[in-house]
Amino acid sequence: MSNGWISRRELALLLGAGGAALAAGLPDRVHAQARRNTLVLGIDISDTISLDPARMAQYTPPMTLNAAYASLVSFAVGNYYDPIPALAESWSRTADGKALRIKLREAKFASGNLVTADDVKWTLDRVKHLKDQPALYNSNIASVAVVDPRTVDIFLIEPGEPVLGALASTTNGILERKVVEAQGGTSAVDANTTDKATAWLNDNSAGAGAYRLTGWQRNQQIQLVRNPHYYGGMPGFERILIRHMSESAAQLLAVQRGDIDAAFNLIPEQIQTLKGQAGLRVEGLASLDFVYLALTTSAELNKALAVQEARQAIAAAIDYNGIRDNLLGGVATRCAHFLPIGLLGSTEKTTRDIGPQQNLDRARMLLQKAGFPDGFEFDVSYGNAAVSGLSYAVLAQKLQSDLARVGIRMKLNPMDQVNLRTQYTTAKSTAVLTFWNPAGVRQFSWATATTERVAARLRWTPPADIVKLVKDATLEQDLAKQEAMWVEYQRRMIEVSHLIVLFQPIYQTVVRDTAKTFPLTASGYQVELEKARP
Amino acid sequence: MIRYVFSRLATSIVLVLLATLVVFLIANTIPGDPALAALGDEQASDPAAVNAFRALYGLDKPLWEQYWRFLQRLAHGDFGRSISSRRAVMADIIDYAPATIELATIAFLLSLLIGLPLGIIAAVRRDSWVDHLARAVALIGVSAPTFWLAFIMLAIFYGYLGWAPGTGRLDPIAFAPDRITGLLLIDTIILGDWETFRDAAAHLVLPSIVLASATIGLITRTTRAAMLEALSQDYVRVARAKGLLARVVITGHALPNAMLPVVTLGGLAYANLLTGAVMTETVFSWPGLGRYTFRSAVSVDFPAIMAITTIVAAVFVLVNFLVDMSYAMLDPRVVKK
Repeated sequence: MSNGWISRRELALLLGAGGAALAAGLPDRVHAQARRNTLVLGIDISDTISLDPARMAQYTPPMTLNAAYASLVSFAVGNYYDPIPALAESWSRTADGKALRIKLREAKFASGNLVTADDVKWTLDRVKHLKDQPALYNSNIASVAVVDPRTVDIFLIEPGEPVLGALASTTNGILERKVVEAQGGTSAVDANTTDKATAWLNDNSAGAGAYRLTGWQRNQQIQLVRNPHYYGGMPGFERILIRHMSESAAQLLAVQRGDIDAAFNLIPEQIQTLKGQAGLRVEGLASLDFVYLALTTSAELNKALAVQEARQAIAAAIDYNGIRDNLLGGVATRCAHFLPIGLLGSTEKTTRDIGPQQNLDRARMLLQKAGFPDGFEFDVSYGNAAVSGLSYAVLAQKLQSDLARVGIRMKLNPMDQVNLRTQYTTAKSTAVLTFWNPAGVRQFSWATATTERVAARLRWTPPADIVKLVKDATLEQDLAKQEAMWVEYQRRMIEVSHLIVLFQPIYQTVVRDTAKTFPLTASGYQVELEKARP
Repeated sequence: MIRYVFSRLATSIVLVLLATLVVFLIANTIPGDPALAALGDEQASDPAAVNAFRALYGLDKPLWEQYWRFLQRLAHGDFGRSISSRRAVMADIIDYAPATIELATIAFLLSLLIGLPLGIIAAVRRDSWVDHLARAVALIGVSAPTFWLAFIMLAIFYGYLGWAPGTGRLDPIAFAPDRITGLLLIDTIILGDWETFRDAAAHLVLPSIVLASATIGLITRTTRAAMLEALSQDYVRVARAKGLLARVVITGHALPNAMLPVVTLGGLAYANLLTGAVMTETVFSWPGLGRYTFRSAVSVDFPAIMAITTIVAAVFVLVNFLVDMSYAMLDPRVVKK
């Protein structure tokens, strides 16, 4: 139809209209402005629903909270059982043994005012009376009393039980009372209905951390600026931007182009592509998280799994090294049982000494002993999700093929995360493949979970000796004795074999050389931003 | 005409309510428990905490009462509190909607600017290279998976060539303008902040092209088909026989008659762009309603799901209503029927 219905000129005009629309938007790019002194982190922060320390219960907010607030104590990287001083200069038991007496260092809030014992009491009272999730971590704190402006007594319900781990949590970051009260904050008994400060604390901070929170746009970005009064010396960057990036591929491109200085959610294959690229390095650190297989002990749900030897056979048939080396590319470690490596009594040596190892002959022998010489069948549920770049589906298929070698038939039952959680929490699952991510670094909380709520989920009644062991180890003050007790606890639990830990991921972060010092930590906040340096 | 408008409006409201009822019933048949999903591990194992949470969100009430309360609140323009974000659903929507509206509108304009001319020319010059090009554009646009296209575009134009900025609505170190409407292009114009305007516009290019890709294809094909149909009609032949200019025949005679199906499709396409940007928003870390919808669904956040359903249903019903109204204007026979 080139019969003059439309001229070439008109055609060009019409086509041009579409093209012009494109070109008008195309960038004369707003390019890298002065980025020096600004640290930009790329990470998925979609789980952030509050930046009020006393209301926080998610995975990524601790990074921000640790930068903006200082707690009384802290943990050095690699040692998550022996706290080090932070706002607390020193601590000791009071003479009657009922309280922990804490002496504060001379530190200032971002406002320039001194951190006082009154601020500490007010903060801990507010956490308690807001009755949100963080209040549970402080359940051993009976009350707090001001002794003098720099000394505070923390009275404990169970005086022998450790409380410093809870105090190290970012949920117990100390707030400046005067500032938060001016924004409607209160620590009164009815704070759960009368406190109005959360909205302000979501966009601002009133802490003594290395940085000050200056803004949060949901699902976009969190901004922090340097606190010149920080007690630990001048922080390394003027500004820190925590940039929300939900897709790892977008993080990969951004860190390559230099738009972000660190990428937190890259999967192992993406990290491989970056190896050897100038200006980029991979920082890795074992987390305190782990992936485990939980087996019911109820004959009602599965006759075979109710038998201890049958569960032990499963533990003996799993190819742990294959999971670590082939599925995870070696970027993982494994703890022997429910205490991740980094806690007292849990090292790689403990895993070698007492942890389950693959031994197919032993697995077959155990099946004989259990009365299931030809194996048995059971259902395993897992979420449609991935951890450390490895999907549960692939992991489940690997376990399925391992167990098939000794005649155990594992049926795969994928489901959405909410459904999985509902079934597991209400003790309706035969077996579950899932993830343990502790809310705070408190050694005993891992162990008590296994004798309390996780035990209930697996319909397991813990024997009195294991319950006593956990209690005694928690109260034991001598670290060497305590360590031996935790090893014994793990040995006993491995015998029961209803919780089989598969691996403890090593999280890898790709960092540009614009951040020369970038210390990762497993303390829950992922990186010690206060120590990051250009 | 007025009677027609009112009857259409009444049907629309009933339709929206029916949609919310259906979604409410479906959401409640899901076996997952939103309280257990929202609480931390320790709280989820504490029956007192779980019951308190249920009571706070009214999840302990019978189904009919929960729905009744939803309707009551809706009458007051209140969607309740989101279970996963723990704040008013309305506040969430006000936060996230502008990003989606801005993206969808730009994508829609882009679809029209490319799709309409391409479709018209493809019809006028049937089987020419333009027609083949239009066919290829339509095929790629409709069949390329959004997430794939998004990654490819990002990798080429941001990662490799560096022509386009990365993800998000603004450069990381740019300061967001004070919120007026939440639409960055509009706010920066009002504030006269041209640097941020350019930044925001540049960040819109890739995601809007990706989001528009399928719609461009649809509009091109529909326009072409409608134009071909119109061009074969007797009145066009008569117009040509009269010796009218080709341009007058196309734009004055054929085009208005070919617009009816295009208007219908355009309306639906815009509604689709507004409500179906999950993939694009995910890849481009776009803080919009698509991502919010997705997260609400996976965390069984009933209040948020119900709010989104109401809004989506309302958008579709409204767009259909407007399309029907424009029909009535384009073709008076519709009202008489």
